[in-house]
Amino acid sequence: MLDTWHHLLGGFLTAATPINLLWAFVGCALGTAIGVLPGLGPAVTVAMLLPITAQVEPTASMIFFAGIYYGAMYGGSTTSILLNTPGETGTMVTALEGFKMARHGRAGAALATSAIGSFVAGTVATVLVTLFAPLVAEFAVKLGPPEYFCMMLLAFATVSAVLGQSTLRGLTALFLGLAAGLIGMDQISGQVRYTGGIPEFMDGIEVVLIAVGLFAVGEVLYNALYEGRSPADLNTLNRVHMTGEEWRRSWPAWLRGTLLGFPFGTIPAGGSEIPTFLSYATEKKLSRHREEFGTVGAIEGVAGPEAANNSAVTATLVPLLTLGIPTSVTAAILLSALQNYGIQAGPQLFETSSGLVWALIASLYIGNVMLLILNLPLVGLWVKLLKIPRAQLYAGILIFATVGVYGMRQSSFDLFVMYGIGLLGVMMRRFDFPVAPVIVGMILGPLAEAQMRNALSIGEGRWSVFIERPMSATLLAILALVLVLPRVLKWRASRRARGEEAVAAR
Amino acid sequence: MAHSSFSVRSQTLIGVGALGVAGALIYGALSIASDAGYAGVGPNFLPWLVAVALLACGAGLLWEARRGGFRQLEQPSGAERGDWRAMAWVSAGVLANAALLTTLGFVLSCALCFALAVRGLRASEGRPAGGPRQTLLDAVTGLLIAAPVFWLFTKLLAINLPGLTASGWL
Repeated sequence: MLDTWHHLLGGFLTAATPINLLWAFVGCALGTAIGVLPGLGPAVTVAMLLPITAQVEPTASMIFFAGIYYGAMYGGSTTSILLNTPGETGTMVTALEGFKMARHGRAGAALATSAIGSFVAGTVATVLVTLFAPLVAEFAVKLGPPEYFCMMLLAFATVSAVLGQSTLRGLTALFLGLAAGLIGMDQISGQVRYTGGIPEFMDGIEVVLIAVGLFAVGEVLYNALYEGRSPADLNTLNRVHMTGEEWRRSWPAWLRGTLLGFPFGTIPAGGSEIPTFLSYATEKKLSRHREEFGTVGAIEGVAGPEAANNSAVTATLVPLLTLGIPTSVTAAILLSALQNYGIQAGPQLFETSSGLVWALIASLYIGNVMLLILNLPLVGLWVKLLKIPRAQLYAGILIFATVGVYGMRQSSFDLFVMYGIGLLGVMMRRFDFPVAPVIVGMILGPLAEAQMRNALSIGEGRWSVFIERPMSATLLAILALVLVLPRVLKWRASRRARGEEAVAAR
Repeated sequence: MAHSSFSVRSQTLIGVGALGVAGALIYGALSIASDAGYAGVGPNFLPWLVAVALLACGAGLLWEARRGGFRQLEQPSGAERGDWRAMAWVSAGVLANAALLTTLGFVLSCALCFALAVRGLRASEGRPAGGPRQTLLDAVTGLLIAAPVFWLFTKLLAINLPGLTASGWL
């Protein structure tokens, strides 16, 4: 405990140097901006900025990237409330009630409860990260390759098969990502795979390329193709202020949302979609103003999900830092940023790069304060961003995409590949394929392969190594449960529905 | 006319496309040496696994497409039909940028890309794409975005981006 305190103080000393404070501030401001703007998310923004890892030192750039990540969550809610087009998936639920509130002249209260709720949740979640991450790391040191491999399998399964509409399309996306990860030199044997004789492919495909292609170029192309005539109307902003009554209704929702969101961030369940929906359902059930939900907009329905969202986002740092396993797309890209520095995320990180880890955690406390200031008194500034005409905004995104992709490897060839991946992105979006499995598969695939082959050499070639060790057997059991349980529930529900139909028909 | 994402033909094509990728993966896997590690798991193990899995996925997609369409398909946002002319302008911008970046330098090439793309995007909204005056304005807007970005990334962050001249400003 005392140890943690010492480390955290040290972290604050590093994070509070003027240069690191500046990085944190720029990250938070940029994150808020891209959160507010439609078309760009934190994952693709961090991806576009990955080239800076060649120049900027690791601590500063991780503070910067983390600022973008949670800044986007603050900013995303502003767009959800005022424009009803959620900037991020995590703020989808905020749009449900927030937009209704804004329609009825309570935009200010909705913005206030989401900003303060984000602050409360972000701070509480950071405290939880501070307390739990070292414990998890201590425990994780004992895990071997078989356990890691099973955890990665679990991450693959949840991101592709459990979330999203269709398991088949999720798996297709996952295997596409895994295939992309195969290109280049094999980590263990040095064997060259799938380069097709193209020298550019020797070092593998950069994740920047895939992320920017799918998310940025794909988004721009999709917009040109299909979204030109989609109407967008902006709610008017009024004074950002909450009455005493609104405070009283908000704070229990914040706390419930925080507690709900945190565990979901730590498990590979695809980030913040599930906890925000759960929080919304909880608030709706518990509220004494249920008639406001879906009509004039209930403040609890904004406060809870917003808190859950930020709490989950912060919690993704626990598995990322202690196990090296990303549980969201942005976390996956943060992982590849660490890889660019040759830093291996995992339990050893708390020993080998303890300075970086604790500075990062300390910067979360600082960043949340910055974001509260950026998003409460200054919210009017960000709203102006929504006035940028759509055509110019999306065309501008292409310029930034070029910086990210070309800046990474100085190769024009990559720019052509980026366009191809953009087309793939349009198709995937049009036919409802999830995109997250591609990114997670691509980044985690090579790591999982290495762990699997190491595990097999530990087991002297026997596959039974995965079930002989208690931890990995448990993980495999959880994996089976995760895959089977939703199907059983669905089957039972459909059987019951059919049973009722039969009764009704009688 | 039904929404284009429910068309049997395009869904079939996607299934076939997935099968094609799987085929390419199998072809590639054939040429990876199998210097087997433990339990026959060498560098060609995962390629084969992914190839076969993708083959199965492709077959599944094809089956769904021919038998009533993709399951649990959520209707995507936006128009029912694509605006292919707008798409062509934006594509031209991206591809021209890819082809000309190293010759024209970052600033000019990106300004060109911006002007082409903004034209397409504006057309997609049903607004006139604009005459020479508007085109000039778009090009200048592109320059005003691309130039500061270029300076920021090359001067401040020392990222290598191509310039037209050696001065470092253009």
